[in-house]
Amino acid sequence: MSRLDALKTRIKEALPGLECVIGWQKGYDALHNTPLFIRGEADVDKLEWGALNVHNPAVYLPSFAGKKVGVVVKGCDSRSVVELLQEKLIDRDNVVIFSAGCDGVVDIAKVRAKLAAAGLNAGNAEKVAVDGKTVTVTAAGKAVSMPMAEVAADKCLRCQFPNAVLADAFVGDPAPQVQAAPAADADLAALDAMSVPERMAFWRYHMDRCIRCYACRNACPMCVCRDHCIAQSREPHWLSQEDSVTEKLMFQVVHAMHLAGRCTECGECQRACPMDIPVLALKKHLNRTIHDLFDYQAGVDVAAIPPLLQFKLEEDNIKERSW
Amino acid sequence: MAAVKYIPREKLPEWLKALAAQSRVLVPVEEGGSVVFRQYDPARAPVFGSDATAPPKGAVFPACQELFSYAYGKEGEDNAPTLKLDPKTEAQPTVVFGSKPCGARGFLIFDRVYMGKKFPDPYYIAAREATVFVTMACATVENTCFCHWVGSGPADAAGSDVLLTPVEGGYTVEAVSEKGAKFLDNPALTDGAAKAAEAEAVKKASRDALGEAPDIASSPAALLSLFDDMEFWRDQSDKCVSCGACTYLCPTCYCFSITDEGTGTAGRRMRSWDACMHFQFTLEASGHNPRPTKAHRLKNRVGHKFSYYPTLHDGLIACCGCGRCVKSCPVSVDIREIVQNAVAKAKG
Amino acid sequence: MPVLTGKELRIVGFLCNWCSYGGADTAGVGRFNQPTDLRIIRVPCSGRIDPLFIAKTLINGADGVLVSGCHPRDCHYAEGNFYARRRLEVLKRFLPILGIDPARFDYTWVSASEGQRWQKVVTVFTEQIHALGPATRHENVSPELLAKVASAIQGGNRVAA
Ligand code: SF4
Ligand code: SF4
Ligand code: SF4
Ligand code: SF4
Ligand code: SF4
Repeated sequence: MSRLDALKTRIKEALPGLECVIGWQKGYDALHNTPLFIRGEADVDKLEWGALNVHNPAVYLPSFAGKKVGVVVKGCDSRSVVELLQEKLIDRDNVVIFSAGCDGVVDIAKVRAKLAAAGLNAGNAEKVAVDGKTVTVTAAGKAVSMPMAEVAADKCLRCQFPNAVLADAFVGDPAPQVQAAPAADADLAALDAMSVPERMAFWRYHMDRCIRCYACRNACPMCVCRDHCIAQSREPHWLSQEDSVTEKLMFQVVHAMHLAGRCTECGECQRACPMDIPVLALKKHLNRTIHDLFDYQAGVDVAAIPPLLQFKLEEDNIKERSW
Repeated sequence: MAAVKYIPREKLPEWLKALAAQSRVLVPVEEGGSVVFRQYDPARAPVFGSDATAPPKGAVFPACQELFSYAYGKEGEDNAPTLKLDPKTEAQPTVVFGSKPCGARGFLIFDRVYMGKKFPDPYYIAAREATVFVTMACATVENTCFCHWVGSGPADAAGSDVLLTPVEGGYTVEAVSEKGAKFLDNPALTDGAAKAAEAEAVKKASRDALGEAPDIASSPAALLSLFDDMEFWRDQSDKCVSCGACTYLCPTCYCFSITDEGTGTAGRRMRSWDACMHFQFTLEASGHNPRPTKAHRLKNRVGHKFSYYPTLHDGLIACCGCGRCVKSCPVSVDIREIVQNAVAKAKG
Repeated sequence: MPVLTGKELRIVGFLCNWCSYGGADTAGVGRFNQPTDLRIIRVPCSGRIDPLFIAKTLINGADGVLVSGCHPRDCHYAEGNFYARRRLEVLKRFLPILGIDPARFDYTWVSASEGQRWQKVVTVFTEQIHALGPATRHENVSPELLAKVASAIQGGNRVAA
């Protein structure tokens, strides 16, 4: 039985006791899948499992507070569920986790760039076939094959958890661990290589086109304040309405700092950004710091306390300045 | 209507430079993977082929605009309080060059709201009158395009002043308004009669590529009849994450918010984009919110465009079918699907 | 101010009420010579300092930010400064990715009796900020630098060109 069929079977069994089960289905064109909310048996057959399941369905869980729901997750999504449990933002008794081994998802922006390089527009995609290590996209009648390694989401290239860290129904064979992962994250390496003033110019360049839609925030499974975010409150007045780079960047700092020690690097913030702003780089950098200072990774252990919610009398890695 | 003119592709910079000498010229350029409208810079090649990520909405309706500055003071021996206001209505002459028809058509929907008799908006009117749209007809269409559903099309000139059509080697140029006719006075433009037939064929081909539009004529009544069907709206909005991508990138979304940004006794009154998809949009001072959930908010977005607005404005649908809300939505919420679902559900 | 010639810069200090604010007061009462660039904001505890206070201050153009609280184990509220230490260290390491020199921000501990230590901290930190000079804001990045960085990233949404 394929992973997909096995998932469908388990979901059908559990569905009667659940408000809904969140997964993915086909979207408006061949290149896009879209979240699916299974509320009846007929919906189960719409479920998809594969490289186009780019969204993190954990983002919807807190909104079902008090109701019992199911969620289908990839390995990385399961870390968001764990982090939500760690912070008691959802209740373990009210969530049923379905999962299967994950072979990675594509980064639509990379596919778009590949197609553009071949003189094609992703907006004309007609067919997508994923076969082992190759993704073949047909657009405007022309087929373009691209190695998965070149169009996979960054997180998949360095994935440590292709199999859910927590699941109630894990079906099929586990997926193999990524071998030969790139030593360093390419985005961080590029920013590390810049001088500090160059990085200021970098953010000046990118944040200029931010439209302040807050898709980066609302797609983030750990941004639970949502409607009460300080970005949009007038009291306190953290951000002005002025559409300056300062104000826009300040919001990214708010997001990043509020996620310090909580972010599982699922990448949704950047994937959701309609303006292609590389906001994930800030979180990657912060996660590296958290790892260096506290030897900690978010969303792998339900019992762990996030590092900024605890302390040690003598810190191992903080060297205070002597004056 | 003036005769068709022609400009070879390599002469475009010459024309653009001439225009830029007289006004602010905004063209679509690539920035970090997105296409946005920026001031023309001969060193940066404009990208005319695909639809801009963000439409040229900001050219007339900026994301944030200072309406006036204010300062409180005191005057005379009795220290009488004073208030100094400094309104900023003047607008810069602007040419939006190379937008797709849907980007320019959006302002038709704005015009009826901000240029109406009841509440004319001096800021909008000044900017709208100072702006000329040199629009480019679409030679290709995308999966998300549905301009033909809403009375428009890939060569729609409504809302534009000049229409370019890509042909072999260059573009045909047609004036569609009096304002536009004045812009064709440039030596780079030659007679285009010989290219006119080819241009018509391009327009027809892209219109044909869109295929047939479904009948959504009943959408105003259908959506209204589903106003209280919250289960329907829950199902439509389940996956929405309540961001502002769809509205801020929409060429027809015209909602705004007003804020005073000041320190001490002086400050500025700012108008900035706001969106019905945000919780705060309808939040009342008492704490009550008549649109408390994303289902209520999505209902408003779709209802406004396909029901309430056309009902007030002679059937004009407040959507130009550009597909940006579909393409840019992080979870691919598809407004076409919702409208069709509503029409089907209302039929029973 | 013999050590500092030229104009004052804008340095913002966040000081806890119980120790460092008292320390600054002790330095004042003791008439210790101190540079005058620092503008002090008194907060109840270093644990009350949201790292975003500091980020916002710097992003909006302050030339430096100094945070001072009670020494570890001396917090009036027992453990506020232990939490603060983690947050402030994370922030300090975060600043350079934003394009802000981490030397524009420091945090330390000064007790109410340490007037002399306060004088030293303020003097050293102020000199450090003067050595860096006035801060540039993101809005004011030079067109040349912007063009250089932009040309490396035109195109993809990736940081790596
Ligand atoms: S990061 Fe791992 S679990 Fe997540 S999509 Fe990529 S391969 Fe799958
Ligand atoms: S998603 Fe992108 S454009 Fe929208 S607020 Fe976030 S960074 Fe800005
Ligand atoms: S900040 Fe971004 S990467 Fe981190 S959890 Fe949120 S969406 Fe995922
Ligand atoms: S509603 Fe969507 S398709 Fe219609 S004009 Fe707005 S963005 Fe375009
Ligand atoms: S429809 Fe999409 S773009 Fe619009 S608010 Fe919902 S998630 Fe955001």
